[in-house]
Order: sequence, then structure tokens, then C-alpha cells
Amino acid sequence: MSSWRTLLLRVGDKCPEYGGAVDHKEHIETCYGVLWREFEHSKDEISELLLQCAEQLPHKIPFYGVLVGLINLEDEDFGKNIVDDLHCKLQEALSSENCDKIRILLRFLTVLMCSKVILPSSVIEVFETLLSSAATIIDEDAGNPSWQPCADFYITCILSCLPWGGTELIEQVPDEFDRVIVGIQSYLSIRKHSQDTSFIVFEADEDKSAKEKDFVEDLWDHIQILSTNGWKVDSVPRPHLSFEEQLVSGKSYNLSPISCPKQSASSSRSTISRERENYEAKLKYPQRLCRLHIFPSNKIEKMQPIDRFIVEEYLLDVLLFFNGCRKECASYMASLPVPFRYEYLMAETIFSQIMFLPQPPFKPIYYALVIIDLCKALPGAFPAVVAGAVRSLFNRIGDLDMECRTRLILWFSHHLSNFQYFWPWEEWAHVKDLPRWAPQRVFVQEVLEREVRLSYWDKIKQSIENAPELEELLPPKSVSNFRYNSEEDHGYTLSKEFREMVRGRKTAREITSWVEETIIQIHSSKFAIEVVIQTLLDIGSKSFTHLITVLERYGQVIAKLCTDQNMQVLLIDEVSFYWKNNTQMTAIAIDRMMGYRIISNLAIVSWVFSLSNIEQFHVSDRPWEILRNAINKTYNRIADLRKEIQTLKKSVLLAEDVAVKALKEFEAAETRLEVVDGQPVQAEKPGRLKRLKGYAEKAKDDEIAVREALEAKDALLARALEENKSLFVSLYKSFANVLTERLPPVSADGAFPKLRDEEDIDSMAIDLEEPSTMEMDHDNGRKDDRNSEKVTHRYSIKEQDQWCLCTLGYVKAFSRQYATEIWPHLETLEAEVFGRDIHPLFRKAVFAGLCRSTTEM
Amino acid sequence: MASLFKDLAKLSAYRDRRFPGNQEEYERALQTSTTVYVGNMSFYTTEEQMYELFSRAGEIKKIIMGLDKNSKTPCGFCFVLYYSREDTEDAVKYISGTMLDDRPIRVDFDWGFEEGRQWGRGRSGGQVILYLSFSYKYLYFYK
Repeated sequence: MSSWRTLLLRVGDKCPEYGGAVDHKEHIETCYGVLWREFEHSKDEISELLLQCAEQLPHKIPFYGVLVGLINLEDEDFGKNIVDDLHCKLQEALSSENCDKIRILLRFLTVLMCSKVILPSSVIEVFETLLSSAATIIDEDAGNPSWQPCADFYITCILSCLPWGGTELIEQVPDEFDRVIVGIQSYLSIRKHSQDTSFIVFEADEDKSAKEKDFVEDLWDHIQILSTNGWKVDSVPRPHLSFEEQLVSGKSYNLSPISCPKQSASSSRSTISRERENYEAKLKYPQRLCRLHIFPSNKIEKMQPIDRFIVEEYLLDVLLFFNGCRKECASYMASLPVPFRYEYLMAETIFSQIMFLPQPPFKPIYYALVIIDLCKALPGAFPAVVAGAVRSLFNRIGDLDMECRTRLILWFSHHLSNFQYFWPWEEWAHVKDLPRWAPQRVFVQEVLEREVRLSYWDKIKQSIENAPELEELLPPKSVSNFRYNSEEDHGYTLSKEFREMVRGRKTAREITSWVEETIIQIHSSKFAIEVVIQTLLDIGSKSFTHLITVLERYGQVIAKLCTDQNMQVLLIDEVSFYWKNNTQMTAIAIDRMMGYRIISNLAIVSWVFSLSNIEQFHVSDRPWEILRNAINKTYNRIADLRKEIQTLKKSVLLAEDVAVKALKEFEAAETRLEVVDGQPVQAEKPGRLKRLKGYAEKAKDDEIAVREALEAKDALLARALEENKSLFVSLYKSFANVLTERLPPVSADGAFPKLRDEEDIDSMAIDLEEPSTMEMDHDNGRKDDRNSEKVTHRYSIKEQDQWCLCTLGYVKAFSRQYATEIWPHLETLEAEVFGRDIHPLFRKAVFAGLCRSTTEM
Repeated sequence: MASLFKDLAKLSAYRDRRFPGNQEEYERALQTSTTVYVGNMSFYTTEEQMYELFSRAGEIKKIIMGLDKNSKTPCGFCFVLYYSREDTEDAVKYISGTMLDDRPIRVDFDWGFEEGRQWGRGRSGGQVILYLSFSYKYLYFYK
């Protein structure tokens, strides 16, 4: 017999604990029976685990609701306690702005109402609290419309509860329910349509987002359809109906009133600060899902739009709560309690997370793992769906956000590495005939590059033997490109001598003076860089560790040589030359050198924007990878400092506390007197007093030491932030320079130049009309995906235009990824870079990345 | 995040016999460590392959290949050092059990690398973890 804990966890699952039974009523009866038997001596544990289950297995909330209802029939206190606990948790979640908790607890609240544990009027009261808070927020005078994301979130929460309890509310409190609906309606008529182009995955959807319904409006539509359908939802189990006769006699409780935190009124009226506030609100109350329409509508499972919404919620919750539990994650994903198939929807949902902008809730590698596990769990169905998704994304790759392209390349190469690198490459063999800058060709080339890194060249060559044409796209076989191979090479002898010195374990200092005397004074500093870098990299070329060892031992030699930025740029040039056949080692070497502070991030930016790299912007990821690493490393340094400062701040408080206590104890002891022979005399022994004084002094010293450490870190952070500011100024200036030279001019009537015309988009993206529409209408004769076969493999965007599209895409991607770090410097950037004469397309890309509205331009 | 199903035995599934301390200290070391032990690797897997895969969990500080005591060649295990604890956890969560060079590698928290541990401790000088056939099940022995 399984324990009550296991039964409670597993209720509703098809599992051995319930003997493989699938009847929900049976599950609940069995579970309830065991729970009740244990109830007397495990009351508190049961209550605690029930709440935990409801919070962490939200797709099974209806089962937990009924169980609470059934126990409540026998023990009224139990229901009361659950309701009180729920109130505490909900209030805490609202105050701490924990979106996931709020959402799930509200669902549990609704379900408890269905099981007669909570009064329907209480549910209405909660809805009305949320509603009035939402209405206040978007009111110009009383609230702060910058916080609309929070208001939208509250409304979404109310709407998302209705599939679980709409029927019951209408039945039991029809007038109050109508009031809520009317309230939502009026909220929707006041709020602003949210049209973020920043987080859109497919660029071509940008223009549509203004016209299309946003997430809240869309959900509202679904709910309205649902209400006309009599609130019938396939995806929500309603086990309480089987127990209605019993449950109806249960005692229902009131939920004490809750309150929503008041969002601060806008302190400043300047546009930048208001927009920044709005940006922060968006991060705090993010839209949970940006639907990614990958499959044509005839492929994706047919279901009501509200069912789609609910299944998406289920999947996202499993992903959220089972992060780190591989087995359970895959099995729950694959066996949701819904009576229809949903593999395509599942794939779309997972891919939407990989591509989620600005950042997915978890690292992309998590979703890679989930996909691998689902391919194993559903070997008959899922691999083909994943392959279909890849094909579809590949067809639209030119339209995909640059950041998402990178994520897709990383995911796909990793995925294939787990399945013996098998892929029908012959399908894509044609990309070899496309121009070098065609996004599909670049995609294939970069996937192959990453595959080679994860494996080795010969293996990947073998994996594409069905498409030998693609061999041309493989990276060069990784060999180093050492300059001095024969005695005729200028530098051969010096390099050899240098190598002997390293072998002889000469110190960095000795080598530095040798370089000074034998190379710089006789030849030039530039030549010295060449010899030193070539030789050191060659000594360290055997592996990552060899490289690190060489840099740790002789990094000082390089640092002495390259004190200014120009020299550092030459140094990077030399690294890139030595490893020109191995992008990974180039990137690693540059990254490590930045780590040892041999080169600065500014030097890297300057190098990335040198002519030979600019020419690669649209045909290779090589310069971008190096730039990404440099910015990321700078960001990580700042993040680390912030964390350390947080910890130190806590230590200061602690030390203060200790010091105050120690001092008090000493003072108390010192002033304690006793009367001896009619005279007041010190009561404490001098030894103890001395000891206490010593403690107090030491505690004070400790406190001062921690304070000093904190001040030192604060100063470091201030410097790092200043450096970060220069980095972004330099980055944006570089972007502005190269783009201004190459972007087509704005026409006389002020219209933005078009970098791709409509026809081009059609030729790249086969199913453009397909995706991005929200409704799931299957009868309006959409294009069949067989159409893709008719597409001729040509690519008509010209090289220069592609270069611009690509570079603008990266401007947007960098701005978006580091928006929180860029916002504080926006005024400086406005003054120094984004002046009036800046090209509007560049400005548009930056604004889109930062989530600024472009209407004010 | 889910505490409901977390396998509590997981942290201590692999115990290094050379750890100088008791079980409790050992577990504390694992809970704060930023080092992972990677096992069941192919002898031919390079540091650069490791770098490519493991940097997807976060920025890597160091990689130390396990070498055969006698031949000084890789013998199927290694240590990866991260900068942050979160990245370390993610490497264990997301990479353990996935394929590298067509073998399911195993990733565990490690109490921290110290000089000398890169030498294999098996009787033959190599790694003492046995690998059974091409399946997703594998059997461990102590290193």
C-alpha cells in the first residue's frame, strides 16, 4: 500500500500507485480514504502537503480542491485553516509581487469555491479588489499608467480563473459576476493597447502588432467565446461534479479581504524616466508567453482557443516547477489531464520559451534537455514534430530576430549532438547555391561550426555525407596558423629563441627585458607583438589549459607590450590571425585575455568594428561571438560586485549589532556598583571588565573592517559602472558610424528606406500569412505547407541590404539584452550618440531594443 | 524549484573517499561548491569540446582533465570549475545524462579540485567508473 503522501502527489496521474486506473472519481475516493485514515495523527502534515501540491502541481488543482472539500465535510476546522493559510499566502504573494504564486493561488481559490469551501461572494470580492486596483493604476491622476503591465496582470489573473469556476459563479452569484465582467470591459476600454516590438520574435510581425490584439485583449476574446459556449472547457477536469451531492452540505468560509500593493505614483514627468518606469514594470510583470506560431494551422491540433491557453499554462507550469527533475518534467509534460493530443502545441510552447525575449525564464539549455527527454518519452510522435518545427523555423530564418537565431543555432547543434548528429541535410543542400549572406546559408554554416566544436571535424563531415555539397560550408579543419615555419620567415629565429627561454622557465621579467632589448629597440613594438603573441599562442595551442597556463605565466609580458588601446587592437589582430582557422580558440583566447585584463573591453569593441570584421557581419557569427563575450563578461563583473555588496551590507548590519551589544554589556558592567562600607564600589571584577572592554573594542574594529570592505567594493562598483557607460557609448558610436556609412538615405518625403520589399519576404518566408494570427480558424483555406515545395531557392536581398538588416538586428538584440544597464546612461547616450542627425532606422532599432515607444520620433 | 519530487539522495550519490572530513562537512562542501565532476567521458574528448558544452551553463573558470597516472593521457573524467554557484547547479541539472561524443556523461557536484586529484585512481591508473553498453543506464563504482 502506498503512503498517503505518494497518493496525494500522484492523484489524477496514470500511475502504479493507483493501479493504473484512470477514473478520476476512483482516484479521489482512494486518496480521500487513505488521508482520512491518517487524519487524526497527521492533520497538519496533510494540510501542509495539500497546499504544497496545489502550488506546485497547479494542473491538478481541481483534484486537490475536491480533497479539501471532502475533508471539510468531516472536520470543519480543516477547511477553515486551509482558507486562512490561503489568505496569508495570497496576501504575501501580492505584496512581494510574485506573479506565479498570485496566479496559482487565485486558481486554487476558485476551485475551493467549486468544492464549497469558500463562499462565491469571497471570490467576487477578491476579483473586485484586483479590478479596482487595476483601474486605479491606469488612471492618470490617481495612479501611474507606466505600471499598466501590473494592471494587465491582475486582469489576466481574473480572466484565467474563469475556466475553473465561471459556471459556478454565474449560477450562484449571477449579478455580482456580471458586475465583474462589466468592470473588466470598462478596464479594457481605457487601457492602452500594448504593442511591444521589442519582444517580437519574427521581424515581419512588427508592423502587425499595432493592429493585432495583444495578449489581454486576446484572452478576453477567448473568455467571451467561452461564456457563449456555456463555459465548457475540455482541458479543465471538473472532478467536483462527481461529488456534488456530498460537497453541497459542506461549510463554506469567507476569505478575509486582501489588498494590492500601491504602485508608486510617477515621481518625475520626464519622458525618459516615465518610459524607464514602464520598462521596469514590464520586467516585473512580464507577459508570460509570446506565442510562437510555427506550424501551419492544418498541422496543429484542433482545439478551442481557450483550451490552447490552458494547455500552454499547464506546460509552462510544469516547466517552472519541474526544472531540475528530469523524469517528472518529461512525464508530466507528456501526460497532461486533457482529452486531446497536443504534441504540436507542446513543441510551439517549448520553442516559444527558447526564443522568449528578452530572456527565457531558464537558460536555453534547460529547454534543450526537455526536448531531448520528450523525444525519448514519445519516440513515435515527438521527434517528427521537432523536425517539423526546425524546418518551419528554417524557412523563416531571415525573418527571425538575431538573438533568436543564435539561440536556435546553439539549441539545434546541441540537440543533434544528442542524436548522433543525424539530420536529413540533403533537404538543405541547396543553400550552398545561395549567396554567402543568405540567412539560411549562414544558419547551416553556423550549425555545422557548432557541431564541429561539440564533436570533431571528421565526424561532422561524415554526418553530412548525404549532402556533400555542404562540405563547402564546414569550418576549416582546425589547425593553427603559425607565422614562422621556415628559417626564411622574418621572426623565425627570434621566436625560436623566445621559445627556448620559455622552456628554460625564464621569468616574465627576464623575458620582458629581452623583448625590449632584442625586438623593440631593433625592430618595432608592432613586430614585438607579432613575435610574442605568435610564440606564446603556439606554445599554448595544445589545449584550453595550456593556453591558460601560458597566459598566467607570461601575461605580464603581453600586458607590458600593449599598454594602450591601439596596441591591444594589434594584439587581438594577431590572435585572430594565429587562430584564423578556429573561431572557438580565437574567442576563448580573447576572452581569457580580457579576463586577465591584458586587453580592455573597449579594445575588443574597437577591433570588432575594424574593416575586416565589418565585412563579416552578415556572413558569420565570428565577430559577434567575440563582441557578445566581451559585453557579457563586463556585465558579469558588475553582477558579481552587486552580489558581493549585498552580502557585505548584511555583514555590516550584523557587525553593527554585535558591536552595539558588546559595548552595552561592557557599559552595564562598568556602571554596576555595589555598596561596600557605605561607599559605592565597582561591582565587577577588574578582570572581567577588561575582558568585556576587549570584546567591545574588537567588535568595533570588526565593524569598521567590514564597513571599509563595503566602501572599497562600492568604489569598485562605481568604477565598473563608469567603465560600462564608456563601453556602451563606444559600442553605440561604432554602430552609428558603420551604419550611417551603409544605410540607404531617407527619402525626401521622410519615409524610411525599405531594406526588404514585400516580395522578398514572400520568397524567404513561406507561410507568412499563416502564423501570428491568434484565432484558430481552420476553414478559411489557409495555404497548405506543401506550398513550400514550390518555392524556388533564390535569395533576392542584396548584400548591402542584408548587411544592414543583420547589423540593425544586432543593435536591437544588444540593446534589449542589456537594457537595464543601458537605461541609466540614456541621457548621456542621447546627448553623445542618438542626436537628431542619426539615421532613423538605427534609432528605431535602439528604441525597439529598449522598449521605448517610437511614436515620439 | 519543485521541492515535491526532489531526489534528496542526489547530492551525496557520489562520495569521494579522499574528502578530509565527515559526511556533514562533505555535504556542505557540495552545497557551496562551484566545481563539477564529469564522468563517463570518452578518452578522446578534448577540453575544447567540454568548453563548448559546459559554457552553455555559464562562464567557465577552468577545466582540469583527469589523466591516467601512468600514461598521462585523458582517462574519462574531468573537473569543470565555474565562477558562480547557480551556473554550477545548472550544469549538474541540465548536462548530466546527456551525450558528449556519443556517450551519456555524468555530472555531479564536486567538493573542489585540488592538486593531485587529476590523476586517475583505478588499479590501472585510469578511471574506475565502468560503463555498460550503449544505453541510458549506467553503473557507478567509486572513483
